[in-house]
Amino acid sequence: MVYNSPVLFDQSVTIVEAFTIRQDRRKLLIISAEPKEVDKIHQFIKEINGHKDYELVEINNALQLENVRELVERQKMGTQLYISAQWDDAVAIFTSAIEAGFSEDEIQTLISGEKKRFVYCVKCYHLQEVKQEENDTICHHCQISLEVGPFFSRERKGYIGYPYNPAFIPSN
Amino acid sequence: MFESTNLELFPYPFHTIKEGNNYRYSNDLRKLDKDHQNCVVITPEYKKQIERKRELLKEQPAVRFQSYPHTMEMQWEVAEMLMKLAVEKYPEHFQIEKNGNHWTFHNTILNETESFIFGDASSIELEPLDLIGRHFTTDFVLMVNRDDNLYLEVAQESYAALFSPHWNKGMSFDEIHGPVPFVSRTGVPLAERVRNFLLRNVLPGEPWTRINWNLMANRWDVNYETFDTWGPTRYLVNSENAGELVRLRVEEQFFYRMPRSNAILFVLNTQFLAMKDLAQRPEWLMQTYSILSDIPKPMADYKGFTPFIEPTVEYLKNEVEQLNLQAK
Repeated sequence: MVYNSPVLFDQSVTIVEAFTIRQDRRKLLIISAEPKEVDKIHQFIKEINGHKDYELVEINNALQLENVRELVERQKMGTQLYISAQWDDAVAIFTSAIEAGFSEDEIQTLISGEKKRFVYCVKCYHLQEVKQEENDTICHHCQISLEVGPFFSRERKGYIGYPYNPAFIPSN
Repeated sequence: MFESTNLELFPYPFHTIKEGNNYRYSNDLRKLDKDHQNCVVITPEYKKQIERKRELLKEQPAVRFQSYPHTMEMQWEVAEMLMKLAVEKYPEHFQIEKNGNHWTFHNTILNETESFIFGDASSIELEPLDLIGRHFTTDFVLMVNRDDNLYLEVAQESYAALFSPHWNKGMSFDEIHGPVPFVSRTGVPLAERVRNFLLRNVLPGEPWTRINWNLMANRWDVNYETFDTWGPTRYLVNSENAGELVRLRVEEQFFYRMPRSNAILFVLNTQFLAMKDLAQRPEWLMQTYSILSDIPKPMADYKGFTPFIEPTVEYLKNEVEQLNLQAK
């Protein structure tokens, strides 16, 4: 990974509601790490309907997850990667794929459950998780109030947290 | 807080507005002619500014200077160029001695010398741009050209305005300008248009410039880290004290394509002029009043001066009326 490598965050362009077939790819690689989404995966395979080469890899334990690195590294050009997983597993698979040379355009990610979101306090440079709906929070490290801004940093792995004084109310 | 005392050296930002007195965003880059390509400038405030810049760098190194380890060679290239420009423009203040790779840079204004082995980062205590940058009042941002974009890989910034080397490190030109809310007439986001323009036109030996401006209320640097401190002070301004508290903050920007690394160096010369000092140049006062009375709200919001634009315009209106009375 280099500093400007893509990272998986809640607004990643790779996150989809449902997988779509990329006709321009030679092969479709589906990594399924979430048993709850198995119906969606079968539905997608039905859609592929033999028109494309595909490979389905099911991940059921930590060891298999570790082997994902090797799996993505041996893929050839023209492979479209589909990741179906809960957040933390999706991050691990996504990161391995990026390290193996996949671009964001070559990845679709289907998240099961909650997406994680982080805020970076620009006062003390502490990174912490925030809920999806939280627009402001308190920094766990320096205790300052933070407004969660809309800008994300790959370097800092979170959204900007603007420090503010909640006791100050503008007169106008 | 220092203020410009020599108005001849103050980069007044609205010179280029020839017709009418309205300011709108545009691609306002200009190619520098042969006689104006040197960004080094020694103002009467030089010593004061250097002192403050070094204090800030010492107090908050992680806030003011950021770089990646792989940028050393690029930093040496920039340091070499800056020393060369300084010696060329002010030989009475700056000299360089080269004995093979053993270089000594003299700054006679500060009575300082820097000795190092050029290209050997272990021969100096700071990183090359951080060391040489401390002899110049300007801020420096090195944007590296990768994948048709520019990425911030080194920055030494002591006068940041809604910017932070720490936060913006590693961001592309587009990400840094994400907050810019404007699109061009053709619907292309302004930042994308400017980025493409820089990539195509800023070539080795052909630097460009533009002037960015803003208004600051009682602060000299407004970085993200201190938003909780300076955010509320913007509400202290009224039409009585705006002359003292509000300053025209002007950032004269220079863009140099580095021939070896292909990166673009942004040199930012930040100067301040208090609203009360505009009266020294009646034409500046009249034009600034006219421009500020007509600023669209999204622009004021983006620049962060919405909380005090009204009292500032009121103050300038009173000043202009006084000027008109004197003329009668």
